[in-house]
Amino acid sequence: MLKINNLTVFYENAIALNDLSLEIGKGEVVGVFGSNSAGKTTLMNTVAGLTLHMKHREQRKGGERITIIGELNFEGENIIDTKPSYRVKKGIVLCRERHPVFRDCSVQENLKLGGYLRKDSNLGESIEFVYKLFPNLKRLSLKKAGMLSGGEQEMLTIGMALVAQPKLILMDEPLLGLSPLMQEEVVRAVREISKQGVTILLSEQYARPIMPIVDRGYVIENGTQIVSGTGEELMDNPEVKAAYFGM
Amino acid sequence: MIETVLIYGLVNSVTLILTAIGFSLTFGLSGIANFSHGGLYILSGYSAWMMMHYIGLPFALAAVLTVIQVGILGGLIYRAVIMPVRGIVLSEVVATFAVGVAILEFFRWRGFVTYDFNLPLFIKGSIGIAGVFIDYQRLFIIGIGLMLAVILWFFTHHTRIGLALRGMAQDEYTALSLGIESDWAATLSMALGAALAAVAAIIILPLGIISINMGYDVLLLALAVTILGGLESTNGLIVGCFILGYARVITGTYLGPEWMEVIYLAAIVLVLVVKPSGLCGKSKELEERV
Ligand SMILES: Nc1ncnc2c1ncn2[C@@H]1O[C@H](COP(=O)(O)OP(=O)(O)OP(=O)(O)O)[C@@H](O)[C@H]1O
Ligand SMILES: [Mg+2]
Repeated sequence: MLKINNLTVFYENAIALNDLSLEIGKGEVVGVFGSNSAGKTTLMNTVAGLTLHMKHREQRKGGERITIIGELNFEGENIIDTKPSYRVKKGIVLCRERHPVFRDCSVQENLKLGGYLRKDSNLGESIEFVYKLFPNLKRLSLKKAGMLSGGEQEMLTIGMALVAQPKLILMDEPLLGLSPLMQEEVVRAVREISKQGVTILLSEQYARPIMPIVDRGYVIENGTQIVSGTGEELMDNPEVKAAYFGM
Repeated sequence: MIETVLIYGLVNSVTLILTAIGFSLTFGLSGIANFSHGGLYILSGYSAWMMMHYIGLPFALAAVLTVIQVGILGGLIYRAVIMPVRGIVLSEVVATFAVGVAILEFFRWRGFVTYDFNLPLFIKGSIGIAGVFIDYQRLFIIGIGLMLAVILWFFTHHTRIGLALRGMAQDEYTALSLGIESDWAATLSMALGAALAAVAAIIILPLGIISINMGYDVLLLALAVTILGGLESTNGLIVGCFILGYARVITGTYLGPEWMEVIYLAAIVLVLVVKPSGLCGKSKELEERV
C-alpha cells in the first residue's frame, strides 16, 4: 500500500532521516521503533505532508532549511510533492504526537472536523462508531477538548482520524504518557481499527505494550533502519531486546 | 439623563463593535493583523456611493454588491500581498498598511475630499424611547449588530467551513493533518473580515459624511479595542467596546465632549497597565514560561 524508498530528510545540516526504506502492506499493522530523536516524528510528518508544508512555509520566509529526498509510493503514485490535504483525500491520516486536539472546540466538534473532507453526509455514523470504540468520549462529547485528560485526548485524536475514513492511519507514539490501563484501552482500539480493514503505521519508543498487535516492525536509529522483521524476530534480537523492550 | 446615557451608550458600543469586528475576526482566525481595515472601510463607502451616483443603482443593491466586492478584495489582498510574506508579522503589517494607504490616498488623489460624499439612511425619522429621541438608523445599527452576532456565532459553531476556520486558528498542523488548507483558511478569514468592514461602513457612514481621514481613525480604533479586549478574543472585543462605548457617552454627558477622546486613551492605557494581555486575553507569556 505504501512504499517508502530511500527517504532522506535534512533539517538545516542535521539529518533526521537517512536513506530510509520501508514498506507497509494493505491491512498490516507496522511498527517503527526508535529512541528519542531517532526520526519517528519526522517520518510520520513527512508521510502526512506536514514536513513539506513546513518547508514551503520557510521558503516563503526566505529559508532553504529543509530538504526532502526520496519517494513515497502510495498505491502506485509518488505523493512526495503533494499537499497534506491531497494525501488526506487519498486516505492517509495522521494522529500527531502528544495528541494536539482543537482545545477550544468540544469533543463533538473535534470529531466533526475529522470528517472535514468527506463529501457524504454520514458523519454521524462514523462519530457513533468512534463513541462505541471509546465510550468515554461519548460521555464527554460536549466538553471542551482542552479539558480532557491526556488519555482522553489521545482517544479523541484517534477518533478524529477515524471519522476521516482513512485507508492508512499514521499514529505517532499513541501510547506516550498514558497509564498502563489507558495503554491497554488504546491497544484494544488499534486492534479493533485494524479489524475494520484500516492499515496502520505506528511509532513508539518502547515497543512492549504494542507488540502483541504489530505484524511487522522496523527499528530505526539516527534516521536509519537497523533491524526489521516480524514481531517475534524483533523480540529475538538481543540488542533490540535490550534497547526497545526493556528485557 | 440616565436614559440618554443608557440608550446612546448602547448605540455607541455597538457601533464600536461593528467598526472593529472585521479586524478582530481576521486576527482571531488567522493571526493576520489587517492594517488595510480602515482603507477597506472607506473604500466600501465610496464604492456604494459610486454605484449609486455613476451607475444609478438603488442603495440596497449597491450595499449588497459592495459587501461582496470588498469581501472578494480582502481575499485577493491575502493572495497578492500577504501570502508571499506570511509568517513574518512585521512584513504582514507593512504590506497590509501599504494597501490601506494606497486605497485612501488614491481617493484623495481622485478628489474625493469634498463634503459631497454621503450615503442615504436606510430608514428616515426618529422615535422617542423613554423620553429619549433616537433616529431609526441608530436603532438599525443595534439590530444589525445583534443579527451579525447571531450569524457569526452560527457560522463558526455550526457550519463545516466555520468549524474548519476555528480549527485552523487553534492548531495549524492538526488542521493540516485533517486536510484543512491553511492558505485557503487565511484567504477566507481576510475575505470575511473585509466583508464585515464593508457592512460596518454601509450602516454607520450614513450618519455622517465619508472622509478619507476617517479611514485612519477606523484602523486606530479597531486596533485599540482589539488590544483592549485581548487579541484573538471576540468576547474581549465586545466587553471592551461596551466599556469604551459607555465611558464615552458618560464623559460626554457629564464632563463635556472635550473629554471624550481622552477617555479612550486613558481606558486603554489603564487596561494595559493592569492586564497587559487585554481584558479577556490569555497571558501567553506566562504559559510559555511555565
Ligand atoms: N523542526 C525541526 N527543525 C530542526 N530539527 C528538527 C526538527 N524536527 C526534528 N528535528 C531533529 O530531527 C531529528 C529527529 O527528530 P524526530 O522528532 O523525528 O525524532 P523522534 O524519533 O520523533 O523523537 P521523540 O521520540 O523524541 O519524539 C532530531 O535530531 C531533531 O532534533
Ligand atoms: Mg517524535
